Amino acid sequence: MDFVPHDNKEISDLLNAIGINSIGELYQDIPQNLQVEKLNIPDGISEPDLLAEFRRISEKNKQYSASFLGAGSYFHYIPSLVDFVMSRSQFYSAYTPYQAEASQGFLQAIFEYQSAISRLTEMDITNASMYDGASALAEAVILATFQTRKNKILLVKGIHQEYIETVKTYCWGRNIEVEEIELEELDLKVTTDIAGVCFQNPNFFGEIENSAEIVTKIKRLNKKTLIIQCMTDPTCLGVITPPGKTGVDVFVAEGQSFGLPPSFGGPGLGIFAIKEKYLRKMPGRVIGLTKEINGDKEGFVLTLQAREQHIRREKATSNICSNQALCMLSALVYLVSMGKTGLKQIATQNFQKAHFLKNQLRKIPGYEILSQKPTYNEFEVKCPDFNKLARLCKEKNILPPLDLTKYYPDMKNHALVCVTEQNTKEQIETFLKIAEEAAQAN
Amino acid sequence: MEKNVKLIFEKGFPEFSCNFVPKMDIQGEDLSKILPNEMLRSEIDLPDIPEFEIVRHFVNLSEKNHSLDRSIYPLGSCTMKYNPRINEVIARLSGFTLIHPLQEENEGALELMHNLGSSLCEICGMDAFTMVPSAGAHGELTGILIMKKYFETKGIKKDKIIVPDSAHGTNPASSAMAGFSIIELKSNEQGEIPLEELEFAMKEGDVAGLMLTNPNTLGIFDRNITKITEIVHKYGGLCYYDGANLNPIMGIVRPGDMGFDIIHVNLHKTFSTPHGGGGPGAGPVGVKEFLAPHLPFPQIVKEESGFVCIDDNEASVGRIRSFWGNFGVLIKAYSYIRALGADGLRHAAEMAVLNANYLRSQLQPLYEVPYNSAGRFNMHEFVIDAHLPNGVNAEDVAKALLDRNLYAPTIYFPLIVHQAMMVEPTETESKRELDRFIEALKEIYHLAESNPEELKTAPHRTPVGRLDNTLAARKPILKE
Repeated sequence: MDFVPHDNKEISDLLNAIGINSIGELYQDIPQNLQVEKLNIPDGISEPDLLAEFRRISEKNKQYSASFLGAGSYFHYIPSLVDFVMSRSQFYSAYTPYQAEASQGFLQAIFEYQSAISRLTEMDITNASMYDGASALAEAVILATFQTRKNKILLVKGIHQEYIETVKTYCWGRNIEVEEIELEELDLKVTTDIAGVCFQNPNFFGEIENSAEIVTKIKRLNKKTLIIQCMTDPTCLGVITPPGKTGVDVFVAEGQSFGLPPSFGGPGLGIFAIKEKYLRKMPGRVIGLTKEINGDKEGFVLTLQAREQHIRREKATSNICSNQALCMLSALVYLVSMGKTGLKQIATQNFQKAHFLKNQLRKIPGYEILSQKPTYNEFEVKCPDFNKLARLCKEKNILPPLDLTKYYPDMKNHALVCVTEQNTKEQIETFLKIAEEAAQAN
Repeated sequence: MEKNVKLIFEKGFPEFSCNFVPKMDIQGEDLSKILPNEMLRSEIDLPDIPEFEIVRHFVNLSEKNHSLDRSIYPLGSCTMKYNPRINEVIARLSGFTLIHPLQEENEGALELMHNLGSSLCEICGMDAFTMVPSAGAHGELTGILIMKKYFETKGIKKDKIIVPDSAHGTNPASSAMAGFSIIELKSNEQGEIPLEELEFAMKEGDVAGLMLTNPNTLGIFDRNITKITEIVHKYGGLCYYDGANLNPIMGIVRPGDMGFDIIHVNLHKTFSTPHGGGGPGAGPVGVKEFLAPHLPFPQIVKEESGFVCIDDNEASVGRIRSFWGNFGVLIKAYSYIRALGADGLRHAAEMAVLNANYLRSQLQPLYEVPYNSAGRFNMHEFVIDAHLPNGVNAEDVAKALLDRNLYAPTIYFPLIVHQAMMVEPTETESKRELDRFIEALKEIYHLAESNPEELKTAPHRTPVGRLDNTLAARKPILKE
């Protein structure tokens, strides 16, 4: 199966028009000794065979009827109209809207996304998306070094381990120094040579910190350093104080929770929002409102491209070109579908259901809730026997919580439990029964 | 300003119930008992909008958007080929969408990524691939970091990268992100790499390698390609292949055989995954065996017992984003490769080249194609220098094409052609559609002679007229 519309006659018409006899002549610049006979790849197959083959592959992945796993990727409800909008090929089969006058639909959608995120986060400016939350955090760190001309970054403990590792990779590339610190060490570590301080809130263990207090403390120690907050599940913004209110300079988040399925971790999107004063150093695309040259109508264009790589080349604020535009569209449709009422209700349910499970779990002998602070939809618990808990969950077709040794080898029997609005009372009760059973000696 | 734009926020109601929240079936504790008041939010400035209003809004927006499904989309170096519908169906199978990146029972996902990697190894002549990079530029950054790690591991200090002046802007930007400074190499009159200057630059000893797109952005295949990679290797450098232009050579010639050590491919170009209005893409990176330990985490290795994931290898560049990459995009690309097979891929490449050369042959009597030595053919694309009569330029031609229900080529790139119009038709356009494009460009040329004003003020039939970019940048309005 291929998707070429030419038949043999059309091919010979085209060859004749060019004035040659064979396709081979078109490749005369490629040295003969380099040309391959035939690739060692299986022959092509028809659409029904393709579907059958991929169905078989997909069935090798286990699908669970319930999940208590989060840790950076979440099962939230997705309104049907999200995929309906994403499936319109007027959107998905378009390229980056370089020709503005013929791309007003997508440009307006990006502008609306920028506006919606700014309203949700109360940050001044939002770009048109980054690859994911982790790379967005890495780019935020680079912005901080450009802005302050300092070269050292502090990462407060509690940031998702994969985000930390991503930041370290990017920083190694740019020769930026990185230090991981405890929240309690701010006084000691925030010196005048610090370009930025990053913290996650709610942190990886689900705990909600008081952002405003953290910001005040850091600014008192170094008012020029950039304060960067990251987040892995921004549905919490339905109930907690938005970053713009607490004074952070840059806010980044993984946007998968806004209308995208986990999809084995991608594609999602990196949300990137800033205070206005950092605009000229911001990575990525941004859409602006303008008007016609010869008329009075309003319209949207890609703007401030002087920051970007196709103009500035090696002096660009970032190398990012393709972003996650279609996922950004799904985030927009999700946010306007939920509206302020839905966002608040969803966040409240996540909060309350996770809290409910946490308090019930606490009552089962052997389980110790390790999160001391208030938590959103995740919390850390020490289990009597994590492996048994996970095994029993799977037997009941439940995706178990995260085994924290995945990221912290010392945390044996520590689990990170996630509860969302998708978890029913029945599922939570089943989980509690399993937890009880797992606590009993064999 | 005329108030012609209606944003989604204007379609809201003060308070409207939300249909997308499941019933609350437990007794929830009051939030104010869990969190102190100052950490709780009082209001969210987003409207509540009835579902049908939202659907209408986005359907109306979509109709103001030109897309590949409407006409030829001849953006040079973007390879806007048909996005097979079956791939959309396959990528939405729940066994792919509803799996968590940290779940253990993921054999299908790993098998798919492994098989896609093996296919790309064969197509590109490489030994190992990572699927993690999320776009072409992300792949470039990964590839250049691999170079950095390679030299660091060997204890050799090299801090420069050679990038030709015809390269994509991401090449120098990615090199800078990996801490390298750039030596720009000027293309010769044939649009190829000047070998003497290349050797001169390499001799300095501090050059880590060369980033090259071949065929380059002029659509020209560099005839000296093996000499180029030999020179770089002779002085201890590595060769990076920017796979943005891989489409015309799939199944014909392999970058690995040309002497390249590292490559990224753009699955959203060559392998038909939709560009989505700017993304998500995927930019898998392939390397020769000796560089494989430097690939980013997670590294997937197939062993007899099954797939093993490595994320603690000191030699690796580390992690470049969370989890496994844009998995949903990888599915579509692998489906495309399985559908076409070896013969189909080669046929696609050949037809892409045929279409490009047909377009060039029909347009060249009127339009100048620089760097075009007599008797040579282009690969997948060619670049017009659009100096039309009466001062009509590339932008005017582009806007006039929009008026004719066609999309415009890439304009003002590559930078080495003054009024550049970079045309890439791809293999999925029929002669009929190519002819429609040719006729439009001919008509526009003649209009430049008879009525240049109409072109200089184009477009006239799009939802809005030509927009003021300068105003947008001078007084940025970036939200409502």
